[in-house]
Amino acid sequence: MTVTESRPADQGSAAPATRTLTLIQAVTEALREELARDERVVVFGQDVGARGGVFLATAGLQAEFGERRVFDTPLSEASIVGVAVGMAVRGMRPVAEIQFADYMGPGFDQIVSQAAKIRYRSGGQFTAPLVIRTPSGGGVKGGHHHSQSPEAYYAHTPGLKVVMPSTPYDAKGLLKAAIRGSDPVIYFEPKRLYRASKGEVPTYDYTIELGRGAVRREGGDLTLIGYGGVMPDVEKAAQALSGEGVEAEVIDLRSLVPWDRDLVLGSVEKTGRAVLVSEAPRTANFMGEVAYVIQEALFDRLLAPVSQVAGFDTPYPYVQDKVYLPGANRIAAACVKALTY
Amino acid sequence: MIQPFTSDPLRWVAEDGQPIRELPARFTPDVLRGLHRDMVRAREFDRKLVTLLRQGRTTFYAQSRGMEATQVGLARSIQVGHDWVWPYYRDHALGLTMGVPLLDLVSQCLGTNSDPSRGRQMPHHFGAERQNFVSISSSIASQVPPAAGNALAQKYLGVGEITVCTFGDGATSEGDWHAGVNMAAVNGAPCLFVCENNQWAISTPLRAQTASETVHVKARAYGMPGYLVDGNDIVAVMEVMSSVAEEVRQGNGPALVECLTYRVGSHSNADADAEKNYRTREEVALWTGRDPIARVEGLLEHLGHPVSAEERADLIAATHREVDEAVRQAEASGQPDWRIMFEDVYADLPVHLREQAAFLRAEQTGGQA
Repeated sequence: MTVTESRPADQGSAAPATRTLTLIQAVTEALREELARDERVVVFGQDVGARGGVFLATAGLQAEFGERRVFDTPLSEASIVGVAVGMAVRGMRPVAEIQFADYMGPGFDQIVSQAAKIRYRSGGQFTAPLVIRTPSGGGVKGGHHHSQSPEAYYAHTPGLKVVMPSTPYDAKGLLKAAIRGSDPVIYFEPKRLYRASKGEVPTYDYTIELGRGAVRREGGDLTLIGYGGVMPDVEKAAQALSGEGVEAEVIDLRSLVPWDRDLVLGSVEKTGRAVLVSEAPRTANFMGEVAYVIQEALFDRLLAPVSQVAGFDTPYPYVQDKVYLPGANRIAAACVKALTY
Repeated sequence: MIQPFTSDPLRWVAEDGQPIRELPARFTPDVLRGLHRDMVRAREFDRKLVTLLRQGRTTFYAQSRGMEATQVGLARSIQVGHDWVWPYYRDHALGLTMGVPLLDLVSQCLGTNSDPSRGRQMPHHFGAERQNFVSISSSIASQVPPAAGNALAQKYLGVGEITVCTFGDGATSEGDWHAGVNMAAVNGAPCLFVCENNQWAISTPLRAQTASETVHVKARAYGMPGYLVDGNDIVAVMEVMSSVAEEVRQGNGPALVECLTYRVGSHSNADADAEKNYRTREEVALWTGRDPIARVEGLLEHLGHPVSAEERADLIAATHREVDEAVRQAEASGQPDWRIMFEDVYADLPVHLREQAAFLRAEQTGGQA
């Protein structure tokens, strides 16, 4: 796998010290470093304190920073999100955890009516720079209330930024950038990659600008674009195609709002073919927007229709969860179809 | 010490202006005259804005006639510019008395360039950074959890401020209300929750809103004191508010104050015939007779310092001139153009908004997209 990080680490040119972390360890490390860096940063949510969150993303942070900085809240997404808004307006840097993205419903009004709009409705007099972290996506036998991919709802709301990493390096750099930024960020963590995604993470401070994608693999025959939990399967498909003599360029969007249109369009202009992969239900899937932009910009350069591999328009199923998800075979088949169009 | 959970509203002055318990020393005739002035100014602002609405110069207005003692009394019980307020959409008298410039309020209603929120919100949704008066949103009770968060931040930062969160009786049925009040109570956040119970949520009466005897008793369930106040008695409002605000400031956790009052006018221009439609004329007449401004005038008369007809007329005329001048200035500043649509969505303009702004610029200026 070739990782092309166009923005070098923010600090220094000395040989970077790195070590292997899992994605969730990278999340914890980002939180720890930001808590240490800025007194205004607080971390809270259901079970995040003594237990460290249901997935242990905040494990050890309360012991290290105290109950004032890292605390449990009542079981109420509306108040978790709403409190984050109020704290941010009053000058703090709240990082709220919603236990599962599936549970954001009761906090939806707070996200779309308050967090997303307060800068706009006040003419910039009041702002809410907050981060809502939440595990999302399927693949962990969670059924339809622990497996959904609701990113499109939030991507559809002006005023919010939407991020979903797939590697430990990105998870840390994007989370730190989100915490330091000036806008509300919905930060989705693909839960099936929490421990499955391992990678090198620098020990020095770095951030990754929101809105920049990453090229995971270079190739000239078609462009495979994904984000979040599907990325390992996207890369597996590309690997399999390579064995057949087809070189796919693999792009990880990393941020949905804003998203890296220059990177995507540059790649599709080169390859002439695009296959878009996400596990969210197909109808009104965020990738529909990516497909639209590609066809609008590059209609006469396309060698095949832009195609989507997505989840199905059903509630997320429990028993058939592996069938529901777009695995490497389904992704590769879509590529073959695009290549033989 | 003022008692919470009383069955009758706490009251200092009877409807005819006679004190029914000893008038606190701070309510000198001069102070009462100042409060009377604030209330008349708020009422005349109301009247003038309704006129602007009828003239089609603004498109929405939420009257607060009858609720002046509640809002003015609250404004005069907090530290303006130090404390923070998360108001609801009927709070112009609160904002006005807190010192939000009348020009800003009028400008917001007209959506002109002089509007600090730049014509982005519907009329009567103010916000003022200087007074820590957080921009009003329309969605009911959605300000309650953020107010709890604002108060939590104040506690965390140790700044000696409190947060005031206002709402109507209808808001107490929303999930956000319960979530926010509970959150503040669990964390001992310095938040003063104020229910401006005007008894009607558009056309839904309080008895169809809740099976609770009234609103303030709900505080008991969340572990905080709840106070019931005659919201048309400005002395009672200020006595209770300043005492409770001090308790909240001292770190004793949040409190809920219910001001029992009445919206004499319609909810908005959407139900202009409220008196003929969902309320009885008798009920409206009863509450019109409990006018908070008349009550202060009665009290001043009782104290031997009556407000003369001439003084009242001068006050009304001065406010009308002030509003007229503000309307003139606001309209002279012009309407914001298409550019304001794209600003303040994010801190910076992301590429997709830059492109959309370029498209609209070309369309609006007759150029190429």
